Amino acid sequence: MHELSIASYLLDSVEDQARQLGAQRVLAINLVAGERAGIVDEALQFSFDLLTAETLAEGARINVRRTFMCFHCAPCDCEYSPKVGDFNCPNCGAVGQLTADGTELLIESIEIET
Amino acid sequence: MSVQHVKIVKNVLAGNDQAAERNRARFTAAGILALNVIAAPGAGKTSLIVKTMAALGDRARVGVIEGDIAGSIDTEKVLAAGAWDAVQINTGGNCHLEAGMVQRALDDLNLDRLDIVFIENVGNLVCPTHWALGEQIKLCLPSTAEGHDKPIKYPEIFAVCDVIVLNKIDLIELVDFDRDFFYKAVRALNPRAPIFEISCRTGAGLAAWAGWLVDRHLEIEAAARRLNQLSPHIV
Repeated sequence: MHELSIASYLLDSVEDQARQLGAQRVLAINLVAGERAGIVDEALQFSFDLLTAETLAEGARINVRRTFMCFHCAPCDCEYSPKVGDFNCPNCGAVGQLTADGTELLIESIEIET
Repeated sequence: MSVQHVKIVKNVLAGNDQAAERNRARFTAAGILALNVIAAPGAGKTSLIVKTMAALGDRARVGVIEGDIAGSIDTEKVLAAGAWDAVQINTGGNCHLEAGMVQRALDDLNLDRLDIVFIENVGNLVCPTHWALGEQIKLCLPSTAEGHDKPIKYPEIFAVCDVIVLNKIDLIELVDFDRDFFYKAVRALNPRAPIFEISCRTGAGLAAWAGWLVDRHLEIEAAARRLNQLSPHIV
C-alpha cells in the first residue's frame, strides 16, 4: 500500500524531467520495478492517476518491466528463482545466497510530446 | 508536435534517499546511534524499546521517534519508562515513515542529550522496508507467535536489515516455532545480521542485546569524534 507515496515521488521526477525537456505532455513512463520493490502495478497506476490531474503527466501510462528475486547456490554454482515457500537450491537443497537482482525501482525512460 | 522517447534511468526514491542521508549525517555528527525499528503490529516494538532502556540503565540516554497512524499512546509509554526525549509522528493513514517526516521530528528532538534514538516505524513488515530514514541500523523484530515462516512470507525486510531481534522466545514451545526452519530461511536472505533471541516478558536475552547496542553506540561516538576533528565547525 505504499504505491501512493511512490507515485508522488515518481510524478515529481517525471514532471521535473519533462519540463527540462520542454515537453507539452508525458505520454508514458517506462519503469523497471523489481519483484523485491513490492509494487502492485495497478495500484501504482491508480495512485498516479489520482495525482496527475492538470499536470504534464495527466493520462500518462506507466509500463512496468519486472525483474526477479534470485539466489546463488555455491555447491552447484548456479542461480535459481525460489520456489514458493522454499529458498533452498532446487538441485541440491543447500541454503543459497540472495543476489541483488529484483531490487530496482527505476525510471528507465519517458515518452513525451514536444 | 512530435513524440520523443527519452532515456533517463533514475531511482524513483532518490529524493527520499537524499533526505535520509542528511538525517544520517545529523545523527552521526551528534554521536547518536539511530535504529529504524520495523515489525508487524503486536510483535513488541514499544515493549522492546521500554525493556531495552531498562537493560541499558545509565549506559545510554535514549530518545524515541514514534511513528503511528494516529494517537500518542506509545510516546506517553516510553516517556513514562524513562526516555530522555520522545517525539510523535502521526502519519495520518500512511503505512510507513519517510525520511522527510523524520527530518521534521529531528528538529523537535534534543539531540545534544541523547546517545541512542529508536525510530519506531508504523507496524507493517512491507512498506517501511523500502524507505530509508537515516538510521545506521535497520532492526527487524519478528516474534515467535507470528510463526517461523515470516522470512519466507516477508523476505525483503529480512534481506535488508542489519540486526534481527526475535521476541517472545518464552513462547517458542507453545506456538510450535521451528527454530531451524527460521534460521535457514533468514540465512539464505541475510548471512550477516546478528540474531538476538529475547523475551520482553521474562527479560531473557536483553542483557546481551543491550551490550551489543552499547558497542554499536561507541563506534558511532568514535566516528563523530573523527568527523568533528576533521571539521569542528559542523558541530
